[in-house]
Amino acid sequence: MSKITHIKLDNFTSFAALDEAFSPGVNVIIGANGTGKTHLLKALYAACAVTVGEDKEKSYALKLRNVFSPYEGRMGRLARRQSTSVKAKVAVTRAGGAKLSAEFSNHTNKPEDVKVTGEPAWKKSELASAYIPVKEMLAHAPGFLATAAKREIAFEEVYTDIIKRAFLPRLMGPTDKNRQRLLTALQKAIDGKVVAKGEHFFLKNQQGDLEFTLLAEGMRKLALVWLLIQNGTLLSGSILFWDEPEANLNPALMGEVVEVILELQRLGVQVFLTTHNYVLLKEFDLRKQKDDAIRYLSLFRDESGAVTSNASDSYLGVDPNAIASTFSDLYDREIKRGLGVIKV
Amino acid sequence: MTVLAEDDLQIVLPAGVVGRKFDDETSHGLSHCMKAVDFIVELEDRVLFIEFKDPENPNALQKDSAAFIKKFLGGQLDTDLKTKYRDSWLYEWAEGRAKKPIYYLVLIGSSALSDADLLARTDSLNRQIPVVGPGGGSWKKPFVAGCAVMNLATWNKTLPHIPASRVGL
Repeated sequence: MSKITHIKLDNFTSFAALDEAFSPGVNVIIGANGTGKTHLLKALYAACAVTVGEDKEKSYALKLRNVFSPYEGRMGRLARRQSTSVKAKVAVTRAGGAKLSAEFSNHTNKPEDVKVTGEPAWKKSELASAYIPVKEMLAHAPGFLATAAKREIAFEEVYTDIIKRAFLPRLMGPTDKNRQRLLTALQKAIDGKVVAKGEHFFLKNQQGDLEFTLLAEGMRKLALVWLLIQNGTLLSGSILFWDEPEANLNPALMGEVVEVILELQRLGVQVFLTTHNYVLLKEFDLRKQKDDAIRYLSLFRDESGAVTSNASDSYLGVDPNAIASTFSDLYDREIKRGLGVIKV
Repeated sequence: MTVLAEDDLQIVLPAGVVGRKFDDETSHGLSHCMKAVDFIVELEDRVLFIEFKDPENPNALQKDSAAFIKKFLGGQLDTDLKTKYRDSWLYEWAEGRAKKPIYYLVLIGSSALSDADLLARTDSLNRQIPVVGPGGGSWKKPFVAGCAVMNLATWNKTLPHIPASRVGL
């Protein structure tokens, strides 16, 4: 297993030309709504997913289509919208130099018509991964996979994928010390362990079994991470994609979530996450230790409307920082309200 | 023109504006039982109670500066700031001087604090003083008109006529 080192996007969704190197540790992606944070996560995730299990049968193009779910399944709709014909390209590189790319135009319909290169070499070694979407799915697991398999619901494939990963059986053998420490920390936060009965998930603690539908949504997310660690999906060498970890989570729990993410990184898990949340960003800044590898990627639109990026390995170097700017604006207004106009 | 300084931080009052050092053992006379803000400045329509905190004082050790920021962000200085204001207000009221609306300005000499941090501390100070009365309503006789926690940049943007700076620069 290896890490993802680089991505290059040309005319893909909202990106005109994105060319970014990643940290082998935690990659924090920020930006206003509509700057393609989730798109970036999905393009990377699709590249990882096709190296493992049943998805190995799928081409990168097909997996891209399934996780993005464009209208009528048309690949061309993933090309950046312009008045003229446009060539789109996604290229992902991993440590060791293997490169996977997909090229298509805005006229391409089927995934089979996408030019995929580097796939055989790319699939030679696995890149185990998990993608945690913004919407919590475990509570909706009963019957979901069967319904999705019949193509009766229009859900992006990231949703079925995460349920499948949650259903994986517990990793055999003794749990090593580091993993056990993580599991214990999460158990404390969610106040119990997760058990599955058929397709139903429950939180098990001293009060008994609590069905997931009765559990706060933020807690379900943490329970999912517990499951993924317990069943070995998140191990050294695997990759975690987490879209807005802060969704439905009380800010008081944010520190524990960041600690879990940092700890996963210390165990060798590469992490990609998106966020709109100041508390989450600041927790990373405050909890980061000397050897932790964190890279911040700020996505923003340039004058032409195309999304571009700036990377920084320190929180203070993040520019533009849409989240901090919002606080600056609030602070300005608070000072004006609190003090009024001071005349001398 | 009056300069009010405390260690390495200073503000310059324009001509005609009266201000005094308040946290002065001799002139205050009750330092053993009442806390005091650093300065009191009187403007035409209001009075400013001003407190300086300077973690980046050139004489401060780096570890002390970091410890201050940690305490400040954790809200551990709120009680000190609140008590300074309330005791100063009580002192001025008892001396028959609290006639105009009073604003509380805290100047933090630190470049390490973000606007979000300053906003959070301003909110907290508003709650601690407290600016609003019982049940979240207005006081019948408000004893504070407003408060703000600012760094040098925000101070100079908000009070350009009373510039703040480092003495050593």
